[in-house]
Amino acid sequence: MVEEGGGGHDLSIDLKPFINFLVVLIPVLMLSAEFAKISIINLKLPEGRGSSPSIRQTKAPEQDDSDKLLLTMIVTDSVVTLGAKGGFLPSLFYREFHKYVSREDRSVEVTVEFDPSNPKKQIKNPKTGKPFLVTERQEILLFVTDENHNIINCLYTKGGDMLTDGAGNPLKTAAKVGDTVFILTNPRRQVIVTDPSTYTLRPLSAYDEMKNRLMKIKQRYADVPDGNDIILAAENQVAYDKIVQLMDVARAAEFPNIAISKLRS
Amino acid sequence: MAIQRGRNKYATPKSAGLIITSLIDFFSIVVIYLMKSYSAEGSILTNADNLVLPNSVAITKPKEIFLQVAATNDMVLVDNVPVVPTDDVRRIPQDVPDPIVAKLEEKLNASYAQEQQMVKLGALNKIQGNVIIQMDKNIEFDVLFKLMNTCGKVGYNNMNFAVMEREQ
Repeated sequence: MVEEGGGGHDLSIDLKPFINFLVVLIPVLMLSAEFAKISIINLKLPEGRGSSPSIRQTKAPEQDDSDKLLLTMIVTDSVVTLGAKGGFLPSLFYREFHKYVSREDRSVEVTVEFDPSNPKKQIKNPKTGKPFLVTERQEILLFVTDENHNIINCLYTKGGDMLTDGAGNPLKTAAKVGDTVFILTNPRRQVIVTDPSTYTLRPLSAYDEMKNRLMKIKQRYADVPDGNDIILAAENQVAYDKIVQLMDVARAAEFPNIAISKLRS
Repeated sequence: MAIQRGRNKYATPKSAGLIITSLIDFFSIVVIYLMKSYSAEGSILTNADNLVLPNSVAITKPKEIFLQVAATNDMVLVDNVPVVPTDDVRRIPQDVPDPIVAKLEEKLNASYAQEQQMVKLGALNKIQGNVIIQMDKNIEFDVLFKLMNTCGKVGYNNMNFAVMEREQ
């Protein structure tokens, strides 16, 4: 308390040295702060696969491929499919939505459906009337559809995790109190519903459903020799962003050895 | 005059104490925030201009400086030097089984030869063939495939994709 009238004793703590200390500390920390963190995804391609070195000294030994799974994820502009040596799983048809955020004004957000037959279509910024730049595309959302091109809804937690039933199928209707549901984390988390309002119905993301399917495959074929491998086969026009997201999905489902190949039309 | 003098008499405080508490609160918050984003290594990788990297959950950090191949919407760069326009890469026929970007191959061959030279001199144990590929997230797969094929052909087999770490 600062007393009125000069000459009184000031009993508050002297904070000046502490402030001096903070003033020095802040620039030091600011210099070594890392705001945009860049990391890497490693693709260690075995020699000879995806590459052809000009001089090969030794011949690769013939391998027995008979008990390999050869899991392949196929991406085109409307379908994601999983295939293995035995055949294909039912395809996941999706509709693609692009979320644009304006560079000048971050509050201007537009989400529009992408039409694969007309990829050059320009999306207008509602505020300025000018078309969005391709660099303003913030996110590519893929929503699973049924045969009639209708988007399928699924229950999600508030944190954005998908809910499945005991058999690993997406929950398409609202949960009731006492239901047992599984949250799609790795490993799956079993939850008994106490408050159904914490779960909301949202369009089912193809990335989440793909993760769900991959986790089922991982569980079932845990002991195949190439149990960590997956081949990602993409069509020419698939955006790089989708490939990185699908690689994330594959790694989240514990398929860390990812190879990339091209789908020929 | 008389009125003003009178007002001064009451308005001027005898000691002006600075209220420091709120300043300290603010500084403490800033220090905590900065400590969270503190990194001892610093960032080896910087992203090229007008390049939007895709977001990913990957948290592996690059350990050393590798050769960098970057592809923006208009240029392909090797170690930040423009090499070939991306449109030229797009124009290479898509159905060739082994598409090669000639100018990029030339450039990569030069750096591969450098690496071989270093192995001869004993500066490196063996050729590692590491390359970091930085691609704009809106570029189509076709360009990526051609770049990867070219890198692999030259001998850069250990490919790394640079991505932006997603905020948790």
